[in-house]
Amino acid sequence: MAISVTTAMPTSFKVSILRAFHDFTASTGNTFKLALLKATASGSGTFGAATTNYSDLGTDQLGATGGYSTGGNTLTSVTPVADGTTAVCDFDNTTWSGATFTTCGGLIYNSSTVGGTSGRACAVLSFGGDQQVTSGDFQIQFPSPAASTAIIRIA
Amino acid sequence: MIGSVGGALLGEFKVTHVSGRGFSPEEVAEMALEKIVYVGANSHPAIRDQAEAFKAQIREVLVRYMRQAVASHNTTLMNRFRDAGHPELIKLLEN
Repeated sequence: MAISVTTAMPTSFKVSILRAFHDFTASTGNTFKLALLKATASGSGTFGAATTNYSDLGTDQLGATGGYSTGGNTLTSVTPVADGTTAVCDFDNTTWSGATFTTCGGLIYNSSTVGGTSGRACAVLSFGGDQQVTSGDFQIQFPSPAASTAIIRIA
Repeated sequence: MIGSVGGALLGEFKVTHVSGRGFSPEEVAEMALEKIVYVGANSHPAIRDQAEAFKAQIREVLVRYMRQAVASHNTTLMNRFRDAGHPELIKLLEN
């Protein structure tokens, strides 16, 4: 088996928004992180709309070497705003510097404990195949926080 | 789906990586530009032209100041190397 990852907004995230389990407010809101998966052939899990929690990554998360720390990078959230009639959420781009690893995807999750649970999944990201970096920089760039582009939006 | 019923949606992100070095000022400037100026696909051509011209100006400013930031940081590193008794490492920072 290999890792199977599909870019998706987890169904559980849609439910958890309506149950007020996420606060994307900058600085004072919850802490959101982006964890990375191993190379496709190095794991066996399936990740996508059915992913519910950071714990789902299990041993498929990238090992804590080569510039990667378990749990991933903490994201800097930008307080959600409205663009027209669409609510948009944004994060600053995040970079792993001096990185040496291969990854096929990632998971944005809420690492704060809300409603007795931490690690609620927010977005599953597929990198379209293995991405390899050696002694370099690895960055995830989030789109402009506009109605038709923002990484997370409610239209 | 976007235009008809709406809902909770996920945008397109980019994965960028370089090996054997870090991002250059030009590459970082491009990343910053995408956050600073967004030109909608359905924008009026005149508005789009103005936005693109503004983007080009901002790109030049960003690159210039990022190069300055790198040079200043190198100066800081040079002093740290000298203070730590390793002046020979300064040559590594000189282009």
